[in-house]
Amino acid sequence: MSQQTQLLDSSQNRKTMLILEDFGRNLGLTFYALFALFPLVWMVICSLKADAEMYNTVFVFTPTLDNYKAVLLGTDYFKAFFQNLVVSGGAVLLTVVAGVPAAYALARYDFKKKEDVAFQILSFKFAPEIMVILPVFLIFQKIGLYDTYFGLIWVYQLITMPLLIWVVRGYFEDISVEVEQAAQLDGYRWFDVFFKTLVPLIKPGLVASGLLAFIFAWNSFTFPLVLSGFNIQTITITSLRYIASDTVHYGQVAVAALIAVLPEITARLFIQKHLVRGLSFGAVKG
Amino acid sequence: MARITLERIVKRYGKNVALDGLDLDIQDNEFFVLFGPAGAGKTTLLKTIAGVEFPQEGLIKIGDEIVNHVEPMYRNVSMVFENYALYPHLNVYDNIASPMRSKLYRQDEATIHQQVERVTKMMKIDHLWERRPSQLSNGQRQRVAIGRCLVRSPNVFLMDEPLAHLDAKLRHFMRGELKEMQSSFNSTTIYVTHDYMEAMSLADRIAVLNYGKIEQLGTSLEMYYTPCNEFVARLFGEPEINIFPGEVEEENGCLGVRALGQQELMPIEEDAAQVLREKEVRQVDVGIRGNDISFSFTPREGSMAGTVYANEPIGNKVVMTVDIHGTHLSLVAPNDTQARIDQPVYIRLNMKNAIFFDGQTQEYITRSQAQSHICSKGMPISERG
Amino acid sequence: MAQLVLKNLYKRYDNQKKSLFRKKKPPNDYAVKNLSFSCHDGEFIGILGPSGCGKSTTLRMIAGLEEFTAGNAYIGDIRINDLKPKDRNIGLAFEDYALYPPLTVYENLAFNMRAKGKSNEEIKKAVNYVAPLLKVDDLLDMKPPALSGGQKQRVNIARAIVRRPGLLLLDEPLSHLDGKMRQTLRHEIKRMHHEIKCTTIIVTHDQMEAMSLADRIVIMKDGELQQMGTPLEVYDNPANEFVAGFIGEPPMNLLRSTIVTAGRGFLFTFADSDLRVEVPERYDSLIHDGMEVTLGVRPVDVRVAKKETAGSFVPIAFYENLGDERRIGVRVGSMLLNMATPDAVYFERGQMVQLEFKAEKTHLFHPGTGERIR
Repeated sequence: MSQQTQLLDSSQNRKTMLILEDFGRNLGLTFYALFALFPLVWMVICSLKADAEMYNTVFVFTPTLDNYKAVLLGTDYFKAFFQNLVVSGGAVLLTVVAGVPAAYALARYDFKKKEDVAFQILSFKFAPEIMVILPVFLIFQKIGLYDTYFGLIWVYQLITMPLLIWVVRGYFEDISVEVEQAAQLDGYRWFDVFFKTLVPLIKPGLVASGLLAFIFAWNSFTFPLVLSGFNIQTITITSLRYIASDTVHYGQVAVAALIAVLPEITARLFIQKHLVRGLSFGAVKG
Repeated sequence: MARITLERIVKRYGKNVALDGLDLDIQDNEFFVLFGPAGAGKTTLLKTIAGVEFPQEGLIKIGDEIVNHVEPMYRNVSMVFENYALYPHLNVYDNIASPMRSKLYRQDEATIHQQVERVTKMMKIDHLWERRPSQLSNGQRQRVAIGRCLVRSPNVFLMDEPLAHLDAKLRHFMRGELKEMQSSFNSTTIYVTHDYMEAMSLADRIAVLNYGKIEQLGTSLEMYYTPCNEFVARLFGEPEINIFPGEVEEENGCLGVRALGQQELMPIEEDAAQVLREKEVRQVDVGIRGNDISFSFTPREGSMAGTVYANEPIGNKVVMTVDIHGTHLSLVAPNDTQARIDQPVYIRLNMKNAIFFDGQTQEYITRSQAQSHICSKGMPISERG
Repeated sequence: MAQLVLKNLYKRYDNQKKSLFRKKKPPNDYAVKNLSFSCHDGEFIGILGPSGCGKSTTLRMIAGLEEFTAGNAYIGDIRINDLKPKDRNIGLAFEDYALYPPLTVYENLAFNMRAKGKSNEEIKKAVNYVAPLLKVDDLLDMKPPALSGGQKQRVNIARAIVRRPGLLLLDEPLSHLDGKMRQTLRHEIKRMHHEIKCTTIIVTHDQMEAMSLADRIVIMKDGELQQMGTPLEVYDNPANEFVAGFIGEPPMNLLRSTIVTAGRGFLFTFADSDLRVEVPERYDSLIHDGMEVTLGVRPVDVRVAKKETAGSFVPIAFYENLGDERRIGVRVGSMLLNMATPDAVYFERGQMVQLEFKAEKTHLFHPGTGERIR
């Protein structure tokens, strides 16, 4: 009996502790959520204000959809949105097609200076874009890639490829060679082995890094600023147009930015599961 | 159907030589065991036959065909990998069904179901069909791996330590199952293990590997009774064979061994003495198994005095280790033997069963045939040179 | 010096997400359930069981690395439930060596005593006493990375005993090592214990290790104590079917059998077999006609009869010569009965033979509960 009461006692105590802990934690999280979401809320508010009310009101104002009308109907915003989609999507596609085999090779094969090559690829990500942009600009003009889809997709590889190779390589390294060998002995050709066995295993990493690569490409500013002109316009560049030389239409900038953020948020919510699991390296083991 | 021949196989990883000019001829339908310490090249050899590792030199033949350049999938072998190599994203059923779903060995789903049921029942994992490998214990994973190997009937089964991670009882049971299957299989099996009992129990023939070379090739009884050197002798038998140095001396026309700091010569059987005489060996290492040493706690005629170094009951017997002038000899005693550490004990060696090795090269020289207690018919001790 | 007593020990790992708003999961099973045993001063105890039986948890609770869910533990007369690990006067050696790599072996051994502010002479004396016991006296100037696995484990154990703890706890100390090294170290641990006579508990899943080292063995399964006894006791008188099957290599034969009356005595009968075995008289009062039992008999306690008698014959299923002994299997209905003998015998597969059971070495178990009938 004494044991029973002991157990009960401790469980009573535990309950009060739990309530306190819960309360504290939720309070903290609420504050953090307010803090983190405030810029977004501010953007939404801005997008609904007329220019005249921009500087002299805070939360109390007359909401208007004029900014939305101006951006969506008055400019070629949708064109830029679509072009940004093509460029970023294309960049990610190329990265996956070229990067996954590269990651496989770096994970599986031993060749001279392997680690140096791998690090070289990663170091592309370190270089400030502004440093390489001028030579690239000159070269692109010479070879006719300036202001083309392919030109941008190509140069975006500097942003997207290193990340994907680095993440996916880790995934390949976590899969034991024997799994591939077993599949071969089971009668599968290498091609089948790759798609039926390896791809499902690297999928979380592939999705996560592909998504991040997409976001990086989507947000890229320096490259499209210099390397595109009239044919191709990305959304980051287009948003700037509402800052005219004489007035700044903050409301319109806010609208442009809000819409630009939509695909990222959608994608993120959609693939959050993969993102969490995928970036914690090696989580697929076992 | 599938005789396997290896000719002068050399496999190097960088500067390390894993297989060093290895020749091997494995008969059709043979149960062939590769035995040896870790790092001896056993796994590499299996993978070379499977075709997932490529030797730098040498020929591999399955049947009469040279398969060096045949893709693994066309070699019609199946393998149990030591680390299981299960597909992490598939459940147990799909893992085992995998070989029968490839283009090459495709079966209809009804057959697959039937076969998977058969092997999972045999492996006692039929209640785990829906589980992923990550939800299984090591022993269960290993049984899934065995199941995936046995579900097809290939020319050759390759098994790399398939029972290593099972608990003792299950291992014993599975050994029995494999033995039963071996007689009904119509395939060649190559089996890697580091457990000598598994090797002796299953093998038609054993190859002892060390540093990528074959130390000895033969039946399990040859390994046990006439090991080709001290290395092989130490691998077989529990407790490990006792080997101590001695000098061959002649006294009253009889050869004997002076060893262990004893006054008296240890006798050598006449036929063994003959061989030692002919070869004019002086320095020998004497090998004697724990079963051939008797003991008592009171002095007896012709016994050696020592002290108990360790006394270990292991169930059906006690392994007693006796210290004689710094040399430790292990002997097998009845299971109710009680002894205190450092207590005096008197032992007698049954020299009729002693094995003599060359003191320098540690190679086998001879043993007496007089006391042939080999009771298995058709497996005589082969006389070695 | 140090007698250890465990009383009604329970351990349950908490899996409750600490929230009142979330749905609760059912609680975990107990990892250790109502475990009580005691060991005398200077005794060598082995805790043995399959993986997940709670043996390591028990050890960690004694060491103070896990909290008690319920129950008490005493070292000597002191209740240790709420003592910090460092105050329990315990020496610990885990499977992983966890030596300090930049320090020499000597400094590794001295580390704890230095932390306690012992004088150099004291430390030197203690290290020099312990080092030869585990044969690390030649290694004192070396650093851990230069040592082999066996040597590291020796240093590890030496470090655990250098402070002369009241209780030494070893958690699977040999399972990393290869066969030969394991045997050598087993001898040395035993001799070390013989020398310093420190109460020692070793946790292992290897029945051979437990049998050869321990004075008494605690056998656990699913968090519960199955049996405690000397190696010979658990081998000869297993308390239940689990212990019977877990101890001994090759494992004990456990055959389902129905008891029938025959004349004045009883006979074991087996499904699909005409094999009849006489039930030893001492069971007569415990059994009745038609009773289902599990008959346990060790492979060394059955043999092929040398002389033919009137009884029934069974076919040899396999014969193997393992050098040290011969293993013989016979079919009894759908079951396989294993025999092992050191005698030089030979049988052909399929040969019909008669069996001889050692009556005093047969065990009966309840087929449902697995409990021994005695």
